[in-house]
Amino acid sequence: MKGIGGALSLPFLESTAFAGQKTATRFLVVGNPFGMHPEHFFPKDFGKEFTMSRTLKSLDWVKDRTTIFSHTDHNMVSGHGREVAFLSGVLPTEALAFPEKNMSVDQAVARHTGAQVRYPSLNVGLKNGVRMSWTSNGVENELITDPKRLFDHLFQNLTAKEKQERREMIARNGSILDSVGDQFAGIIKSGSKTDAERIDQYQTSVRELETTFANREQWIGRDKPKFDISNHYNGDVTIESEYNAIFDMISFAFESDLTRVATVAFPTELGYTDVPGVTRSYHGCTHNGKMDDVTDELVAIESFQISQLSRCLKKLDSIQEPNADGSMLDHTVVLFGSGMGYGGTHSNRDLPIMVAGGGFKHLGHVDTRNDAGENMPLCNLYLTLLQRFGIERDEFNTSTSNFEFGDA
Amino acid sequence: MREFFETVPTLTRLGRRLNRVGLMMIPCWVMGLTLLGGIVLADQALMKEHCFDCHNADKAKGKFELGFLGEAPTSDNLDRWLDCLDLVTAEEMPPEDDSHLVALDRTKIVAYLDEKVRRFEKDADFTEAPKPRRLNNREFSNSVRDVLMIEDVGTHQPTDNLIGDSLHHGFDNHADMLGFSRFHLEQYIEAVRKIVDATILSGEKPESKRYEIAPENILRSNLKQNGGRNIQRGKDGVFDFLDPRLFGYFEEFVTAPETGRYKITIRCTGKDRLIYDSAETGFYDGDPIQLSVHLGNRVRMFDLPDEEIFEIELDEWVAAGSRLQMHNPTDAFRMKGNGNFKFQYAIGAFHTQKNNPEKYAERVARIKKSPRLKGSVNRWPYWVTAWEGARPQVFGAVIEGPYFESWPPKRQVALIGEDPKAENAAAILEPIANRAWRRPVREGELDKIVAMVESKAKTLGDVEAIKEGIVGILVSPAFLMLNLEDIAPADRFASKLSYFLEATLPDDELREKVSAGELASFDACRTEVMSKFDDGVSDEFLREFPYGWLELNDINFMGPDPEHYLHYHKKRVSEDMVNEVLQFFRHAVEENIPIPEFLSADYSFINADLAKIYGVEDVPDDSQLRKYVFTDGRRGGLLGMGAFLTSTADSLATSPIHRAVYVMENFMGIHPTPPPPDVEIKEPDVRQAKTIKEILAAHVSDENCASCHEAIDPWGFAFENFDPTGAWRDEYLVPVVLETDEDGAPVPSSKNEVTIPIDSSAKFRNGSEYQDIREFRREILTDTNRDRFVRCFIEKLLTYANGAEPGELDFVAIDAILTKSSEHDYRIVETIAAVVDSPLFRGK
Repeated sequence: MKGIGGALSLPFLESTAFAGQKTATRFLVVGNPFGMHPEHFFPKDFGKEFTMSRTLKSLDWVKDRTTIFSHTDHNMVSGHGREVAFLSGVLPTEALAFPEKNMSVDQAVARHTGAQVRYPSLNVGLKNGVRMSWTSNGVENELITDPKRLFDHLFQNLTAKEKQERREMIARNGSILDSVGDQFAGIIKSGSKTDAERIDQYQTSVRELETTFANREQWIGRDKPKFDISNHYNGDVTIESEYNAIFDMISFAFESDLTRVATVAFPTELGYTDVPGVTRSYHGCTHNGKMDDVTDELVAIESFQISQLSRCLKKLDSIQEPNADGSMLDHTVVLFGSGMGYGGTHSNRDLPIMVAGGGFKHLGHVDTRNDAGENMPLCNLYLTLLQRFGIERDEFNTSTSNFEFGDA
Repeated sequence: MREFFETVPTLTRLGRRLNRVGLMMIPCWVMGLTLLGGIVLADQALMKEHCFDCHNADKAKGKFELGFLGEAPTSDNLDRWLDCLDLVTAEEMPPEDDSHLVALDRTKIVAYLDEKVRRFEKDADFTEAPKPRRLNNREFSNSVRDVLMIEDVGTHQPTDNLIGDSLHHGFDNHADMLGFSRFHLEQYIEAVRKIVDATILSGEKPESKRYEIAPENILRSNLKQNGGRNIQRGKDGVFDFLDPRLFGYFEEFVTAPETGRYKITIRCTGKDRLIYDSAETGFYDGDPIQLSVHLGNRVRMFDLPDEEIFEIELDEWVAAGSRLQMHNPTDAFRMKGNGNFKFQYAIGAFHTQKNNPEKYAERVARIKKSPRLKGSVNRWPYWVTAWEGARPQVFGAVIEGPYFESWPPKRQVALIGEDPKAENAAAILEPIANRAWRRPVREGELDKIVAMVESKAKTLGDVEAIKEGIVGILVSPAFLMLNLEDIAPADRFASKLSYFLEATLPDDELREKVSAGELASFDACRTEVMSKFDDGVSDEFLREFPYGWLELNDINFMGPDPEHYLHYHKKRVSEDMVNEVLQFFRHAVEENIPIPEFLSADYSFINADLAKIYGVEDVPDDSQLRKYVFTDGRRGGLLGMGAFLTSTADSLATSPIHRAVYVMENFMGIHPTPPPPDVEIKEPDVRQAKTIKEILAAHVSDENCASCHEAIDPWGFAFENFDPTGAWRDEYLVPVVLETDEDGAPVPSSKNEVTIPIDSSAKFRNGSEYQDIREFRREILTDTNRDRFVRCFIEKLLTYANGAEPGELDFVAIDAILTKSSEHDYRIVETIAAVVDSPLFRGK
């Protein structure tokens, strides 16, 4: 924890709204594009006393605050490309059929918590992302795919001159929006339906951007919390060191209330050959033809992803939640998973899904099938997660009901 | 009489369709007339007799019931009618082994289905307006460039902040992927500002400077993140590109200090071409040694003469902050170890040992003195400075700039005039908006922007305020959105045509031509399309269309296994494979070949790297793609190309299903239904000594899977002789799975791998069979399949041109394009022209 403000002093809290208010809840999503090798991901036994699987081994320490969900999915056909629906249950091509398009669950949370913090949400990957985060307009969210850019984005303070320039630029951009925002205001009423739809998207963007400018204007004057990144760049740059940096920055962003929602992606393009025992491409390993050595490489990659997550959870757990009982992990809903079940079969059934922390009464390893033996819609779980944030709603995209964690 | 003429196209079309079902001998119009009478009494009973046994409510093979068709097509069941039409025409239904449908009855069914579909679409309001969409990133850059009348958007990577385009079945310009959000808008504002700032300069003219750069002041970039250590610079009068991964740059001129024109002269040479063995280095003896000069993101490539001083001369507009770098762009020197360049240095050790024992002994003596000596003296770290691989060397450079032929610069005067004033904003901005919006500016439309310019001028000054106005125009919806209906038909057509063929906005000439009604006919469209290709302005189409159509972006999504296919990875052969496709496509357009030649050609465009994979020896020893005629009957055209064969294979094994689905979707225009979600898909197991055919046979014996797989599998088995990189093989190599004894312990085996002969034969549902790829290539060129292919090509063109797939309601209109294409021997330019001339492209 060296470099994160010292152990004694409490971190500077970004949000002034934070002090004196009830405790914040945060949301961390970690996703990958190819799912998990099922035999190594899912534990063999069910219930709270389950035995951690090989892939999940590094999470053994937090077993009692973990729930692993078997037999839940979005009922999608096989093949790549459906993983874009991981957090929504809705494919972009079907988005029009839903009032909130294919809005992902992280954005549903961010919409609720966003106004109180500097950054409503963070979407981070390395080199590339997994297309997880979608707005209620059906548009993919911007991803930060470089830890250095993430650092600048989160922690770089502006000089007085830069602040002044920033304010002026906001004013200039504001004037530009004014001058073009309603170029086609008339079309919405008179023109064709398809025109109106796209123009409406444009105008919504203008309005949202105006709000963003107004928010940003407010934050410009305030300094950001300080984060020391120098320790992360001592040795060779590996995907491990980069993910360490990403997760440390995110836990600190949570701690200092810069944001309350973050997604982190383990994309396909990475050279996982930094991970011991891995020589092949990630995608190549998923099509291992059941050869043991290649499968081992896949499990090594997947275990690496989980161990990065585990490291982050440990960090969150080492922080006492201000103004509340428990650690920050107990107030952070952590969701791990993928919109693909397992790349080797291209199956999108039985998604690998896990929830940790968040103060739930965890259930260990659960079989979510109903009495008829049908898989649970994953959106049922998402609905429960949303309710955890005090969001009052009784459905989310393809949900049929909610998922009940334990009572006791 | 008029009525008669209106029927003629129908007759030819139907005639052609009937020809396909085997009645070639009867002149098609006679056939058409004869049948036309019969259609009125359309014989549903015939279909019932031949189809109902399998396709009734109880049995419903392939999840199809005859009852779905009803009396006539409706918007809900049109897809079923079209499927029936395709399958009966292709004689795939009823299946050959279970049918006694005679040819004449088949023609009756085809005519019946065809006529019903045609009537329905005639009544339906078929031509949907093109979907409005945002410009994609390429189009955005090109369009801004042309609005501002500059060579490109600038060397300072001004559009790097834009959110990347998502592909939709390979295409990057699909309307479904090009929505709009706050993020997009904000990024556009930022990008446009950067571009305009590097185009319009206000203030004093910056002073020009001259930099004379000695080799000692040329530095080598560092691979380590925490750079600073180990700075390497040129010495002994030369900067040497020992490691092709690294860039060279000038100490006094790391980035351009000001925006403006720079003259850059670089003295250099190609060094040591033939010293090491090409087989070891991967550098072909026939290839030139090259140097690439990077001005920010603008790259210029130069072939250097061997051992002879050469002066590269550049005269370029460079934006402030752009990095100036040089690089050795070779794909060679990755053959040793894991491909990391450092391991290549050992080549030098062995070469010296063999060819220059004296020098070797001397160096070894020196190495042995090192207190830190580890391992063999031939290990790479000791041979870094002895490197003699083919590479560029730079002796120095002179840079002069920024210079301006006048002030303000000419480009700026052309755009906003010599001394622009905010009070003239309307007049200054009007022509800019006219270009940007691809239509005349409407009354009052610029008022708000002009008012903003006038008000900003007070604080920012005239030039800066006018820049704000330009930014406004370039982030307005009329610029960022294509295909809005809110535009006159002529303006929209000019715009669409220009984005289709040139990926940018239409120039004045094209707009005037269209307004004057000069592109109203097929012949005029043909002349226009032809001249675009001749003028060389359609490079983007020639690259992006085939790239999207053939989904080339996916080539390494599941690349061949790096441990088994070294050559593929170490020579970056996937790039050659992609270029092979693009070269073929360019050839197709330049020679205006018939579209079926994409499949029937016995030639392709290959270089030495591809020749290794294709098992061909008589090609020159270099990287250049040249036309090559294959004599084995296996390769030539798209079906033998590595790009297709690799991107459809797994990394360790091939999948006839992937290849079949690719062929069906991208060549035949057939869209097989994906397996239902509840199907248990078995994970491929390469350990078992079974061929994929045997595994699939088990799969197909399951009735749920059978009906679809009978239709799919024959499109893929033919390619089984091509391994995951596309190389020919006669046998599968399968690792031996050790038997276990009674205690479960493995029994040792003398062999690691066994071979299994490949069976690449299959049978289509219509009964036609093939034994191997040669016979398959004949099958895919039957009249039915040829028409399927050309139709599929037309659909892909329409998808690219409209940013949306044509729908089922467009079937008849596409048929009209197909007819036009066939009248011109299916030649590609005429087919593109027919697409342009179609109501599906023009709009109603």
